[in-house]
This record gives sequence, C-alpha cells and structure tokens, in this order.
Amino acid sequence: MSASIFELVDNLPKNNVTTMMLKSLDSIVPGEWENTVGFVDTIRKVTGETDEDLIQQIGDRAVWLYNDKSQGYQRAMWLYQTVDRADKALGSAALANKVGNKIPLVGGLLSKVTPNPDKAQAIDLSIKLVVELVAFCQINGIPGDSIGDFVGSLKDYSGESLMRMAALVCVDGLIPLGPDFLLKAQSTLGGMSPSDLESNSTFKGVSDSIPGGNSRGKLNFIGESFDSVKGWMGDFVRSKNLSPEKVMNNLQGFLEFSDNKLDYVAAFIDVSTNYYEHTGTQTLARRLIERAFDEI
Amino acid sequence: MISLRKFIAALVLTSCLLFTSCSQQAPSRFDGAQQDSTSKGATAVVSKSQSGSAFNRYFPDSADGYQRVYSQEKKGFAEAKLNQDGKEIAILSISDTVNNPSATDKYQSSSSKINGYPAVSQGSSGTAVLVNDRYQVKIRSKDSSFGESDREAWIKRFDLRGLSKLN
Repeated sequence: MSASIFELVDNLPKNNVTTMMLKSLDSIVPGEWENTVGFVDTIRKVTGETDEDLIQQIGDRAVWLYNDKSQGYQRAMWLYQTVDRADKALGSAALANKVGNKIPLVGGLLSKVTPNPDKAQAIDLSIKLVVELVAFCQINGIPGDSIGDFVGSLKDYSGESLMRMAALVCVDGLIPLGPDFLLKAQSTLGGMSPSDLESNSTFKGVSDSIPGGNSRGKLNFIGESFDSVKGWMGDFVRSKNLSPEKVMNNLQGFLEFSDNKLDYVAAFIDVSTNYYEHTGTQTLARRLIERAFDEI
Repeated sequence: MISLRKFIAALVLTSCLLFTSCSQQAPSRFDGAQQDSTSKGATAVVSKSQSGSAFNRYFPDSADGYQRVYSQEKKGFAEAKLNQDGKEIAILSISDTVNNPSATDKYQSSSSKINGYPAVSQGSSGTAVLVNDRYQVKIRSKDSSFGESDREAWIKRFDLRGLSKLN
C-alpha cells in the first residue's frame, strides 16, 4: 500500500542536502520558501487555526481526499517522486562529510557523480517542466493538457511552488547548460526523434503520465509545453538578473568546490537532492488542506 | 535438543518482531481516517455530486480593487482566491456536502443567518452558509485585514439565490 499523506509530510526531512540547497537559493526568491514539515504543523501553518478539534477534522478530510484516487492527488505525488531519482546514500555520505555548514565537493563524493551530457540535461529540464504542468493540473483539477491555464497561473506561483521553479531554472538550467540554456534546450528538443526520447531514463519513468499518446505525440507535447513556458523562464532570469556565476555564488553557501569542478556541481546536486519531491509534497499538502478546510 | 514446539514458538516470535519493527510507523491521530478511507468501496467524492464547474458562475466578480482568481475545480468543489493588490487576502469556495455530509451538522446548532441562509463561523478564519441544505459557501481569511464583517459582506456577493436553484 502506498504511504498515507500524513506519513509523507511527517517524514519530510528538516535538514538534508535538498533543504540546504533550497535555502542557498533563498535570496533569489526572498522569503518564499519555509521548510514546513509535519502534517499537523502544515495544517496549522496553512490555515492559521489552532483549535485541535478543527485541525483533526481538516486532517481527516485531507486524508480521505488524498486516498480517493479519482481526485488526482496520488498521481501528482507519484510524478513528483518519480521525476527525482535522488541517491539517498550519496546524500547521507555528503552530509556526513560536512565541515561547518558546508559540504566539500572532493574525493569520494566527486568520484560518484558524472556530469550529464547536454542532451540528457536538456531532456531532464523539459520533462521536469512537463511534470510540473501535469501535476499542477492533477492537483487543481484542470484538464491535464491545459498548457494555457498552467502558463497563466505561473505568474501566481508563490511559496514552495515558486521555489521549485526557481531551483529548476538554476540547478537544472543555468548551471548545467549555461546562460543560453533556453535556446540549448529548445534546439535539443527540436532535433530529437521519438526514439531519442524513449531511451532517456527520466522520460521512461513518467512517460505514461505525459499527454500525447505515442512517443511522437509526447515529444510534441513536451516541445509545446517548453515553448509556452520559456517566456516565463526567460523573464524570471532577466528580472532576477540571474547568471550561472550568480547561482554558483548562492550554491557556495552550502557547497565548497573549486572552479575547475563546476561541471560536477550540477551532477552532484542532481544525484544528491530531490527538491521536486520535497517541495512537490509541500505544495500538494497545502492544496489538499485548503480544500479539506473548505469542505468540512 | 530444542523441541519442535519451542522452535516454532521462537520462529513466530522472531518473525513478529521483524514484521512489526519493519512496518510500524508511530501511531497517528489520523490513523482512523486512513483506515476508513482505504477500506473497500470508500470514496471521498460520490457520483451523484454536482460537478465543480457548475459552481463557477455563482462566485462574486472581481470588484473595488479585489481580484477573484479561480484556483481549484474538482467534482463537488470550486475554489477561488481573493487578491488585493496581488496579495491573497481570502479564499472563496462552494462545495457540495453530499460528499461530506457531516459538514452540515454545525448548522443545526446555529441560529445566525446571512441573507436568510443558516450561517456559522468556523475557527478563527472562516464564515460559511448552507444553501438549499446542500451547498456550502465558505470564505476564509488569509490576511488579518480581512475580518469577519468582510467575510459576511463577501458571502452576500455570491449569487446565493441562483445557487439555491441548482439541482
């Protein structure tokens, strides 16, 4: 049986490589993300309510809603979990090597990660974006292929959802692909065949949930989604004045690395963090709790 | 030599220990809901429920510097945010209580009314009315600048009469 929503939220880590990485990005979206963990604490935080009986009723209804598969929450959770394939052992090893507040990216840690080729990285970036779109639709009840509705709502993104998008732009875009990551990703997608897509492991994991029917249709859907969201991402980069150097400076808040190892920073973050799953669980819990309070 | 009975007893005890230590999470106050909602045939939303899209037209329009932004639409439920200068100040919703009949209990003991419909306040942030003994219209404050009287005023801006005719 899959885990209950309260276990998933109760088990969110207070402090690990993922939370350290997200905290290091705080100055890019100041004050948006707070690492609220624990189901009851999340109910208190989201609703502002303190009455225990009311909290119980809200939590109970949220549990019911989550467990009704027709409501889409479990599918969204599965997507957020599946698109992140964090190596928990590497994450723990990195934490164990912490010196002060920083993880030195040296020795054994480095030998365990391999930088992604640009093509694989471009596919990763665009699939994470599509996962956000599909999960957004599942959570909020909008038909799963409503690219327009999703793009419209991006401007309304805040809290942990905005942090997830900021992290996507920074650690899956700017750091591995450089300042022209949007162009690179777009040209990769444009030159790609359905069979290229099928051989990508990130795609394989979530392929069933991507609209479009066959691989060609899914590739088209990924391309269209990327096309529609690239404007928002470009504006985000410009308005925050983001560059790979600036993001690297942020990441140096928790990671110590030498300039000739920049390639490895993205690879290390990719393998040792699950920021999609972490913040995705927080987003889902919030929406579920809001609805539960409305319905009781 | 260990008797067969002792051996089996030891085996059973060891497997019990192994089983419980691997599968047991700390007990939670939500275990009951988890168990009930995963039992055979349990659903949070029933088929006779009204669709969420049917509710949208009864919401108040954006006005006086307030923007209404739809945020969720599921079977039996529709929700919108009320923003002022881009800041979320309240959540507006309509839900069909056929999906959660106990939601109507609180109206039994309430004598207050808004526009003739039974009304309650809930917690420190919510105000709700029950329309046609079925549809719950609720407003929850998200900012301290939006108080109980604002919630009451905005509940009156819903098309409650129209909603009462929805079957």
